Amino acid sequence: MKVTVLEQTDNTLQMRVEEVRPGLINAIRRIMLAETPTMAIEEVVILENQSPLFDEIIAHRLGLVPLKTNYDQYVVSSDCTCEGVGCHLCQAGFTMEVEAPEDGFIATTGDLKPQDPEVVPVSDKIPIAKLAKGQRIVIEAYARLGIGQDHAKWQPVSTMAYKMIPHVKVDTNKCDGCKECVEVCFRQVFEMQKDKAVVVDEKNCTLCNLCVETCDVQAIAVSHDENNFIVTIESTGALPPMTIFEKGLDVFRKKYEELITLLPGRVPKVTPKKPRAKKKALPKKPKKKKEPKAPASKTKTKTASKSKTKKKK
Amino acid sequence: MIIPIRCFTCGRLVADRWEEFNRRIRQGEDPATVLDSMGLKRYCCRRMLLSHVDIIDDILQFAERT
Repeated sequence: MKVTVLEQTDNTLQMRVEEVRPGLINAIRRIMLAETPTMAIEEVVILENQSPLFDEIIAHRLGLVPLKTNYDQYVVSSDCTCEGVGCHLCQAGFTMEVEAPEDGFIATTGDLKPQDPEVVPVSDKIPIAKLAKGQRIVIEAYARLGIGQDHAKWQPVSTMAYKMIPHVKVDTNKCDGCKECVEVCFRQVFEMQKDKAVVVDEKNCTLCNLCVETCDVQAIAVSHDENNFIVTIESTGALPPMTIFEKGLDVFRKKYEELITLLPGRVPKVTPKKPRAKKKALPKKPKKKKEPKAPASKTKTKTASKSKTKKKK
Repeated sequence: MIIPIRCFTCGRLVADRWEEFNRRIRQGEDPATVLDSMGLKRYCCRRMLLSHVDIIDDILQFAERT
């Protein structure tokens, strides 16, 4: 696996991932969406709520607020020494006490006072409720680590998408300069230069083949790489996209290692749960193709470490 | 009622953009350019703001006065 970062901002990351089978990249995508932990408000104690919104709606809104996540400090509450009761190791508290000074006052996440300065909402401007003059809201809330599989509020990415790298070629000898491909392409891949169609933004192509169909002289050829991808990650703000990618690979490796420990016994006495059976099929494929005899755990560590070296660049 | 926190489809945070969006629309700006400048590229997130009606203001008028 070869990773090249193409574009990076605070919340988005676009990279080229090469020499990976589609099954593997999809496994990583699904793990990033559903099994990479983040913090989100899980428990809300409503002490007072005079707003026009129901208690449940306020709790739900608070739950959906993306929180900055710090992996070093918190553990998943089911693995915690408190056995899921909730302590400072597995949950971060918030309090909110507002009384509207005038009509139409908006209680926002800025009014949410965090106990841990590291676990804060990604924005101070998220409205929780609108209040009339004198209405009060008094709330206690507790955030915990969780995964997207259990609830979408724990999903660290809003999009994690990949596409095969497109190749668009125009045969300049055949091109009659009819301009139709420029007009039909809605991703602005082509441009007219000296009465010939020229590919200017190949990466933007979605492989829709509209240009190929419109070209009367068959001058355009569109193809794609089967094992090279453009991966786009957009974070909700809870974690930097690169961290999500690394953590996703980390979760993947752990699953893989767990799978390996199950193999020597051949027949597992207890039939594994459904999701585990699914994961078995996915990571196996790339291993088979690359080095059939190499121990699988080794291949996995490589993948993870490679991505890490990328980040340093 | 009140602007949803996240996009229903993709999960992107949209609620923090509502106030700015509403203000700029009322000043007569084109919604498309406002959405573009706020970085809402996908149509799932764009419809969250475009189609939202903030009824909570109407309900607030019936608040119990003390």
